[in-house]
Amino acid sequence: MSIRAVGSSRSRYGARDKVLGRTRYPGDIDMAGQAWMKVRFAGQPHARIRTLDVSKARAHPGVIAVLTAEDVPCNEYGLIYFDQPVLCGEVVRCEGDQVALVIAESEQAASEGRDLIEVDYEPLPIISSAEAAMRPDAFLLHPERGDSNILAHYKTRYGDAPIEEIFDDCDVIVEGVYRTGMQEHAYLQPEAGLGYIDESTGQIVVNVAGQWMHEDRIQIAHALGMPEAQIRVEYSAIGGAFGGREDMSIQIILALAAWKVGRPVKIIWSRHESIIGHHKRHAYTIRTKWGASWSGRLIAAWAECIQDAGAYAYTSSKVLGNSHLTVTGPYEWEAVHVDSYSVYTNNVPGGAFRGFGGPQGHFAAETQMNKLAERLEMDPVKLRLKNVLRDGSQLPTRATMPPGVSMGPVIEAAARAAKWTRQGNDWQRPATISDAATRGDHATATLRALPGHRRRGVGFAAAFKNVGFSFAAPEENWATIELHGGGEIERVVVKAVGADVGQGAHSVFRQMAAEAVGVPLERVELQAAHTDLVGSSGSASASRMTFMAGNALIGAARLASRRWEDEIRPATATFGYRPRVTTELNYETGESDPNISYGYVAEAVELEVDLDTGQIELLHVLCADDVGRAINPRLVEGQIEGGVVQAAGYALMENLVTEEGRIKTPYFSNYLIPTIYDIPRRTESLILEYPDPFGPFGARGMAEMPFIPLAPAIVAALHDATGIWFDQIPLTPDRLLEAFKRSSVRAFERKA
Amino acid sequence: MKLTINNRPFETDAPPDTPLLWLLRDELGLIGTRFGCGVGLCGACTVHLDGVAARSCITPLSTVEGKAVTTIEGLAEGYEGLHPVQQAFIDQQVPQCGYCMSGQIMAIAGLLAEEGAVDEATLAEKVTNLCRCGAYVRIRRAALQAAAEVNS
Repeated sequence: MSIRAVGSSRSRYGARDKVLGRTRYPGDIDMAGQAWMKVRFAGQPHARIRTLDVSKARAHPGVIAVLTAEDVPCNEYGLIYFDQPVLCGEVVRCEGDQVALVIAESEQAASEGRDLIEVDYEPLPIISSAEAAMRPDAFLLHPERGDSNILAHYKTRYGDAPIEEIFDDCDVIVEGVYRTGMQEHAYLQPEAGLGYIDESTGQIVVNVAGQWMHEDRIQIAHALGMPEAQIRVEYSAIGGAFGGREDMSIQIILALAAWKVGRPVKIIWSRHESIIGHHKRHAYTIRTKWGASWSGRLIAAWAECIQDAGAYAYTSSKVLGNSHLTVTGPYEWEAVHVDSYSVYTNNVPGGAFRGFGGPQGHFAAETQMNKLAERLEMDPVKLRLKNVLRDGSQLPTRATMPPGVSMGPVIEAAARAAKWTRQGNDWQRPATISDAATRGDHATATLRALPGHRRRGVGFAAAFKNVGFSFAAPEENWATIELHGGGEIERVVVKAVGADVGQGAHSVFRQMAAEAVGVPLERVELQAAHTDLVGSSGSASASRMTFMAGNALIGAARLASRRWEDEIRPATATFGYRPRVTTELNYETGESDPNISYGYVAEAVELEVDLDTGQIELLHVLCADDVGRAINPRLVEGQIEGGVVQAAGYALMENLVTEEGRIKTPYFSNYLIPTIYDIPRRTESLILEYPDPFGPFGARGMAEMPFIPLAPAIVAALHDATGIWFDQIPLTPDRLLEAFKRSSVRAFERKA
Repeated sequence: MKLTINNRPFETDAPPDTPLLWLLRDELGLIGTRFGCGVGLCGACTVHLDGVAARSCITPLSTVEGKAVTTIEGLAEGYEGLHPVQQAFIDQQVPQCGYCMSGQIMAIAGLLAEEGAVDEATLAEKVTNLCRCGAYVRIRRAALQAAAEVNS
């Protein structure tokens, strides 16, 4: 073998086409005779449909068909529960609900037809907050799902005595009410796709950008009342996903439309349609109280986490499980008492988004940890290392951590790289991470050297994140490997259909297959385009794809190589990897074996804040991420750099505003995401490789991890700079200025 | 209406208020120019008009007559192989999902042509294209690499 494929920063598969503008995303594909589709959205958060009149739309020139609830054979879907109609016939529960489809000869005729549909709505009470939805007298949004709007309630009861008694024995108590906002995925490629009939197979084909093509197929087949074999799902190039394409948006309606009109049907959503039409990162309110000893030992944690699920379940209960698990941080406890609620409202549904509950849980946990360090006058790194999860540690679910826990070494590595100094067990925070030229002594530079009332601070946070689906969700990943040639292996065909959403899955599939077979990378050809090639790869989510696909590829390579040795040509093998089965949370105690593997990450941040404008500038972000084994280090760094930017948006500027169930920021003009202007002056990636005993080549998942600790690290740095704790994100300038006004930070500044 | 696109003449009877983006994509099949927002904010649709970067989704055809339109597909014309900005984007392994790449490259190539030298501050001020994968660290690196090459 020449160059090893694993561990090498080979060029991204398809990079050249991407810079030449040749890559085809779903909106770039046209078929002869195609029609265009437009969706009539509800446009209001909660109402009963009195009448729906589509006659004018049907009569409009160019309109081929108008489809409504009556046209959907089995009018329900959902990734966890079938609680959402494909097309609403009776009640609409959020403004992004889909009511009718117009298929026409042109996009313009479809738009005109859509606007001619007349719907008479009877308004229903709008429930715009989770707290309001939890009241016993609240209007029930899904009466068929029980007598409450609470979609899921998880409890953890861990410890030998009632939690209040244990708090009585604690030396120090730290409390907080943490609020995190919704976040829009804002992938640059809005939802687009094509539905058509494949005349050669008779299948209904949907070409879209998604995250899990076999699940898309299950959902489409269910709604159309057809066997799965009747449906084929194809993925073109995917213009970003971040969790936002895990649930259905246009998949089912494209299949329905192509089937009903017997012609190819194309759709491209506008940015506005994309923002109102797909789910968001959940908003949370987390009340929590932690107790510790003077020596810095964590003893007891209480928390109540309320998640706004929006109008439909999507993956809310699964996201809730992850925030439930992470709201006590990556630490050991004597006693934990947590209640977590996922609650239906008339807001835009919440669902998967990079980190999947981890960012919300850790925002509370890690800010608590930093506040506790302040109360104890102890360095936050030292406090963490005293309490951190280790090999053999028990989680509050009573499960032992899966082997290969590296949280402690990751925290130490991050601290050292960020210039923390250590003497024995004591750690000392640095004056600066960045060596910024204007900066002198930490305590005085902010007052003397910085113009315009600017101040600087340093902060730290850590996180752990599951790799793979949690809480008994079935895991599997299939791959086929064909070895072609005579005396030597000349060509390797890999069939593995995990979605490359931009993270580089297809690059690392090829690298892992080349390594497992023992051939140069150039001989490996990947087929990944559609559902009929091979079994499911599962979702490109939960930082799982490298881990799961890698194990499937290794399994298939082993079997195929054996057949090769038996002189079989081509030598072909298919392997389905199924990891150890996890268990659900016990509804009374929270007992569970939640996950098979974790990734560990820690970040240090240095920032500058302007007391006059409330603007924060990130000077330096250091991210230490244990990836087990970097299959392609340059791709790993790309995930760290990008995850940090996205998390900086989440922490500082991305403010999805809703009012009475309506999104008030459905455009890029009022929902702002980071540009090159907003990124940290320096982002430093520290790739750590503590192998996961079950990971392929030792790899762990990594793509979500760098997102998670950034917001609490920023809050800690902001506290370092101003002396104020912020318990709510995003840290918009108006929130900062309001807090500066209330506190004495400016008065102090002026006197100085 | 007579247009010049990637150095080739093109005639269309599309209405003069048609955004250039959709003519490029739908009539010419130049799919490298992407749709991202439709209101000139994200920059995925960036092309050059007489060498100057412009957002094609808010550029009506009527304003393009007589100007030379260059898209990502025509950017490398006159260069051996790739345009230096494209080559820098490969060298620095910039693309993740890749959807914004054409626009980023066109914006930076336009800026280099206009300004000659660029530094980090100029990029931060003048390149407003969105990249949700957050590949900005590498976009910046690639832009500086290309600037160095163009000026060497």
